[in-house]
Amino acid sequence: MSAAYIAGADMIAFGRYPDRTYYELGAEAALLALDDAGLSIKQVGAVYASSCFNAQSMLGQKVLKEIGQTGVPCINVSNACASGATAVREATMAVRSGMVDVALAVGSEKNPRGMLGGAPAFGPPVEGLFGSESMPAVFAEAGMVHANAYGTTLEQFAQVAVKNHHHATMNPKAAYRKETPLAEVLASEMIAWPLTKLMCSANVDGAAAVIIVSEKKAREMGMARMVRIRGSVLTSDPYEPRNPEMFDASSVTRLAAAQAYEMAGLGPEDLDLVELHDCFATAELLHYENLSLCGEGEAGRLIDSGATALGGRIPVNVSGGLLSKGHPIGATGVANVVEIVEHLRGEAGARQVAGAKIGLAHVLGFGAAAGVHILEKA
Amino acid sequence: MLQTRPGHKAIRLAPDGSAFIEGYRCGACGAAFPEPTMACRACADRAVPVAYRASETGKLYSWSVVHRSYPGIAVPFVSAIVDLDDGLTLKGTLRDVAVADLNAGMPVRLEFDNAGGATDKDGAGYVGFHFTAAGDAA
Repeated sequence: MSAAYIAGADMIAFGRYPDRTYYELGAEAALLALDDAGLSIKQVGAVYASSCFNAQSMLGQKVLKEIGQTGVPCINVSNACASGATAVREATMAVRSGMVDVALAVGSEKNPRGMLGGAPAFGPPVEGLFGSESMPAVFAEAGMVHANAYGTTLEQFAQVAVKNHHHATMNPKAAYRKETPLAEVLASEMIAWPLTKLMCSANVDGAAAVIIVSEKKAREMGMARMVRIRGSVLTSDPYEPRNPEMFDASSVTRLAAAQAYEMAGLGPEDLDLVELHDCFATAELLHYENLSLCGEGEAGRLIDSGATALGGRIPVNVSGGLLSKGHPIGATGVANVVEIVEHLRGEAGARQVAGAKIGLAHVLGFGAAAGVHILEKA
Repeated sequence: MLQTRPGHKAIRLAPDGSAFIEGYRCGACGAAFPEPTMACRACADRAVPVAYRASETGKLYSWSVVHRSYPGIAVPFVSAIVDLDDGLTLKGTLRDVAVADLNAGMPVRLEFDNAGGATDKDGAGYVGFHFTAAGDAA
C-alpha cells in the first residue's frame, strides 16, 4: 500500500455562527485546506464528510455545491464524537489503497444548544429516575473510578481545565481565550461532581479539513510541508462487563492506541505532542493512561508535574482542547489532526511545541468509537 | 383498572404483580447482560443468553452527584453505577445516603418504586427502581 501524506490542513475559528449553515462552514474549511495545499477541488478524487448530527443530509454533496460539483464520490459519516477521525481514517484508506491520489476529509458541525446527552428510549423519562444520562454525569462517573482507585483529587481534575484554557489564550482559532485560574475553575457552577462548568467542553460550531495525498502526489508537489500519516486507526468498544450501563471510555481508546503504535512502529516515548479527547477534564486524565503517556494510576501526578503543559515533556492539548478551543462534534476529530500538522510544520505560532517531529491525535465517540492518528514530519 | 408497566428495560412483572430484575447470561462464558441479545456480546457464542432473576443486592462501583441536569429535572441526585451480586451492572439513582458517606464498594439494595409517579398517555403507572444503602453502610 502507498504511504499517505497530509498536504493541506486548516480550520475556521471555532465559535458561534448563528447566520451560517453547517455546510457553509464545512465548505469554508475545505477551501482553506485546499489553498493550504495549493490544490483545486478539481484535483480531489473523493470526499469524506463528517458530522454527528447532519451526515444524513448529504453533507459532502452540500459542500461541493458550494465549491464545485466535480462528480466524485462523497462518503458522509456519523460516528458520534469520533466522526471527524472516521472521515480522516477513511480518506487515508482511500489514498493508501491506490483508489485516489487526493482525498478531502472535512468535518463540520453546528451543535445543538444546551447540555448534550442521551434521549429516553423506553418508558418514563429516565433522567433522575435511573441516574443520569447527561454527558457530564457519565464522564464524572468515569473519573470517580480513577479517584476511588488512585486518590485522584478534584484539584487534579481541575488543573486540566486551568492548563487547557491557558493554552487556548495562544490559539487565535479557539472559541474561548481566557485564563481560568484554579480558584475560578473550582468556583464555577458544579454540574456533576467532580465536574464544574469550566471542566466541561465548550459547545460551539466549527469546521476543519485536511487534504490527504498519495506518496506519488506528495513527491510531485514537493515534500517541504508534507506530514506523513504513520498510524490511522478506528476501533469500536470491545466487550467490557459494565459497558454500556456504565460508559467505558478507556478500553476502546486503549485498543486504538495499541493498534496505532503498532502500525506506526512507534511508542508513546516517541511523541512530541498529543491532542486528546478532553470532552471533560476527567477524560483527559484517563486518556493519559489509555494512551500510555504515563503508568497506571499516575495521571494525577503527571498533570501536577507540568509535563503535559506547553514546555513540558509531553504537551497535551496545546490547542486549548475541547474544553477551550471548543467541541463542534463532527469537526473535532479533523481539527485535532490540523493542530498536530501545524506543529509538525513549525507553523503553530505562540503555542508552537519546539522541534515537534511526531504527534498523536485522539478522539472518543460515545457509543463507542475511538480514532487515533500518529503523524510525522515528512 | 389500568395495568402498571415496567418503567425500565430490565424490570419484569411476575403474574402476581411483583417486580423483579431480569438479566441474561451466556451459557458459554457466563457474562451477564441487562437486556436480551441474539448471541453473546462477550464471546459471540451463538447460543442465546438465558434469562434469569437477578440479585437485588450489590455494591456501589462509581457515582456522580448531579447538580445540573436537563430542564425540569429535580437536582441534586446521585447517579450510581451498581454491580449486583450476580454479575449484572445497573445504573440507577441512589437515595437517602449523605454525599459524605458515599464510598466505592459500599453495599446497596435495589428497591422497586412507582417511577416517580410517572404515567403513560393513558394514565397507567410504571414500576421503577432506585438504590439505597444496605447492611452496615449507613
